[in-house]
Amino acid sequence: MKGILFALLGGFFLTFQSVANATISSQIGSWQAATMTQLTGFVLAIFIVLIIRDRSYRQLPQVSPLYASGGMLAAIVLFSNMTAVHIMGVTLTIAIFLIAQLVLAIAIDGRGWFDMSQKRIGKTQIVGVLMMIAGVIILKL
Amino acid sequence: MALGIFLAIIGGAFVSIQNTFNANVKKQVSVWTTTALVLFLGFAASLAAGLIFEGTGLFSFQAEPWFWFSGIVGVGVVACVTQGVQILGPSRAISLVMVSQIFFGLMWDTLGWFGLEQVPFTWQSLLGVLMISGGVLLFQLGPKLEQKPFVKLNPETMEAND
Repeated sequence: MKGILFALLGGFFLTFQSVANATISSQIGSWQAATMTQLTGFVLAIFIVLIIRDRSYRQLPQVSPLYASGGMLAAIVLFSNMTAVHIMGVTLTIAIFLIAQLVLAIAIDGRGWFDMSQKRIGKTQIVGVLMMIAGVIILKL
Repeated sequence: MALGIFLAIIGGAFVSIQNTFNANVKKQVSVWTTTALVLFLGFAASLAAGLIFEGTGLFSFQAEPWFWFSGIVGVGVVACVTQGVQILGPSRAISLVMVSQIFFGLMWDTLGWFGLEQVPFTWQSLLGVLMISGGVLLFQLGPKLEQKPFVKLNPETMEAND
């Protein structure tokens, strides 16, 4: 029960984030909004690291520089998310984001790219994505 | 419209790549250190992009006080999703996160809160959202239903994140 609540709240926060970013960006600009939300989030995350006395950053040198720099992709993600929400609203933006995300996840896991262990892709996953695409078409018809 | 769809496809693809990279970081360091690193680099990259496209004009803006608290939401996402995954396991937790995301999206479009352009509710849009939710559930839980654990995707690549 608690797990379900956390998961639902997590989804709420994700949607809220898209909406808040889009709102902030329409008032002060997209790059300003992206810079501001990432900076304030970082400050809070560092506080949490300090409070829980997390020392695992000492292992950071062992992480491949390519993977460690993944955070930079957020600039592209945030910019496209904010602009897409302005153009077509949150529902459609989230739906297409999820489809693109899952399709690429199929490719990454199916081929074992980026050090992910290779997995066979089930029929249900393909049908699931097709259903999502059908859902988007129904949304937009 | 076409531009919106294009940007959402690009954005979603990058979410997937970022989740995969983050999953590799999390093999060595904790969730919170990973989150702090990811947000710091996101900040640095956004700042650099802003300076390139707008120069010092980047810093001339009138922010409302609540804008400065927007980053808390991202931290809330990490905390809730991590807890959910720990209790329910990745596939069940992530499927619920995604279904919740899309329903709250419909709610938000309908209500038009936070200066969002209001999109009137239609039964057709509810049907579309139900269909998308069904697709998400089938995608995430299908392998379990097929009773073949080896077809399960790496949960890390599908984690909701942005």
